[in-house]
Amino acid sequence: MIVLNINGESRSVDVPDDMPLLWVLRDVIGLTGTKFGCGIAQCGACTVHLDGAAVRSCVLPVAAVGTKAVTTIEGVGASAVGKKVQQAWLDIEVVQCGYCQSGQIMSAAALLAATPEPSDAEIDVAMSGNICRCGTYVRIREAIRQVATGQKVAPQTLPNEAPNQAAATGQVLSFVRVEGVA
Amino acid sequence: MKLVRMILALIAIVVVGAAAFTAYAWFIVGDGKETGAPQPAAAGAPASLTDPVARGEYLTRAADCAACHTVPGGQPYTGGVAFKMPFGTIYSTNITADKETGIGDWSDDEFVRALHAGVRKDGKPLYPAFPYTSYTALSRDDVLAIKAYLFSLPPKHAPARPNELSFPFDQRWGLSVWNALFLKKQRYEPVQGKSQAWNRGAYLATALGHCDECHTPRNAMYALKRGDALSGEVLQGWKAYNITSDKTYGIGNWSEQQLADYLSKGHASGRGTASGPMGEVVQYSLQYLTPEDIGALVTYLREVKPQQGSAGSEVNDRPALALASSASAPGAEELAQGGLGQHLFQGACSSCHLWNGQGRQSEAAALLGTQAANDPQAHNLTQVILQGSTLRTAHGETSMPSFGQAYTDAEVAALGNFVLTHFGGKPATLTADEVAKRRAP
Repeated sequence: MIVLNINGESRSVDVPDDMPLLWVLRDVIGLTGTKFGCGIAQCGACTVHLDGAAVRSCVLPVAAVGTKAVTTIEGVGASAVGKKVQQAWLDIEVVQCGYCQSGQIMSAAALLAATPEPSDAEIDVAMSGNICRCGTYVRIREAIRQVATGQKVAPQTLPNEAPNQAAATGQVLSFVRVEGVA
Repeated sequence: MKLVRMILALIAIVVVGAAAFTAYAWFIVGDGKETGAPQPAAAGAPASLTDPVARGEYLTRAADCAACHTVPGGQPYTGGVAFKMPFGTIYSTNITADKETGIGDWSDDEFVRALHAGVRKDGKPLYPAFPYTSYTALSRDDVLAIKAYLFSLPPKHAPARPNELSFPFDQRWGLSVWNALFLKKQRYEPVQGKSQAWNRGAYLATALGHCDECHTPRNAMYALKRGDALSGEVLQGWKAYNITSDKTYGIGNWSEQQLADYLSKGHASGRGTASGPMGEVVQYSLQYLTPEDIGALVTYLREVKPQQGSAGSEVNDRPALALASSASAPGAEELAQGGLGQHLFQGACSSCHLWNGQGRQSEAAALLGTQAANDPQAHNLTQVILQGSTLRTAHGETSMPSFGQAYTDAEVAALGNFVLTHFGGKPATLTADEVAKRRAP
């Protein structure tokens, strides 16, 4: 029997030591918000926090977790930074298909907890382990900026010059700072 | 005329001398120099094991027969592992008790002679890829315990793959000359004045574990340079590091705990993780040793004569670029420089290894302080990038995917160079041509 601290709750699971944490979370406990992507820590979809640090749960044997606190996408909103990240994700409308986004949010929350005001270059580097098939990278960066600066931004799909093409495809052309604090 | 006659005479003397030596070598090749000496205290399985098969299994593991006689994922002890040497490829043989393709027909004396003298059942010499140069020091009791264990396993039909050797290396008689020159048929004799633990460690490291076969440099005739014992050598693209007690180039500065952890678990905090052939040694052999035997090995290794390495190959424990990095990003200056290696590391490596080299979620992924990131020739670094690495022990499994199929030679070189400079503070010397040579054919 292995005892895990997940999102502040103590959970006992009867699983082999070498079972990846991701399997335990999804298949044993039923927390399916964390996704399986590549299975070899190359895509970031399975990212969760271990004592606040982002880890890839698909390659983490459950026995290696020990007494560290596991935070998943279901629990990240309990922290101040996590809540801000979630709100920014909604404000910027980051998500398209959504499959990678649990991992993106977990990585972003870990980055902002460690580095409250990352530069754009730092954001790109830190988030590079999370791959998005839909290509939402620009919105992800903008959402992280919103949390870092406290400056609310809104995606503009219909700029003043209004090129018809851009409007038709819904492509983000710019982000406009808006009133209020995120 | 007189001069010509003298030269001819000289040539005749050399030829006759060589022929006589070859005949002598051929004549003595099968002599195992059996002394009938009693089992020394340093030999044997731990006293805590009483079951004869369990004792044989322990010794078979300590001698690491599986690493060479088992293809990864294949039937244990059925052979077929390729050994690529400069002069051709040798394949290990089936050592299960199958009568047709294995050693099921071998008598005790024939098996002992194979390990003590390097000779097959038919009397022909074995290639020294089989480490009889080390096993010759095993006690007869231990050799027979290993045989009894192998014979307790189910026989498997697995014909040996023929060796692919160029002339003259395919001529087995030549090995009898090599043996006469380089094989010292001698059982282990405890060294007086050394502790019991040291002697046990010596027996484990030399006769059973045959550390020398990878870690000791070889001469032009491919024989071990005993004077440079354990000072490091490159074999099949992997570097077996300097494991002498030298504090700068060897393991003299490792703590007892680090040495014991590395040997028994394949990972030492702040020092690195065993991969490639050493990973196999941990997986097949060392992880099964008792804590007392691991302690004995540490005691022995602590006293191995220190040997220096080449300048610049020492482990840099304060690499500036790694220290300037956070877990999630390199220092601003390095980040601004960019480059292919940095770009690749960012995309494929940083998620697990982290920019500060501490390793994400697993210490096994830590790069700081590792010899792999500090070897100026980047041998093992290149191999791990190309082939990946898996270490399976009782403590679980750690693995790194392979990138050999994903990246070109130029990309592997750029990535290797990034790791060398960032985590080892070493000059970027790896070239695409070199990577191409190191790719497994």
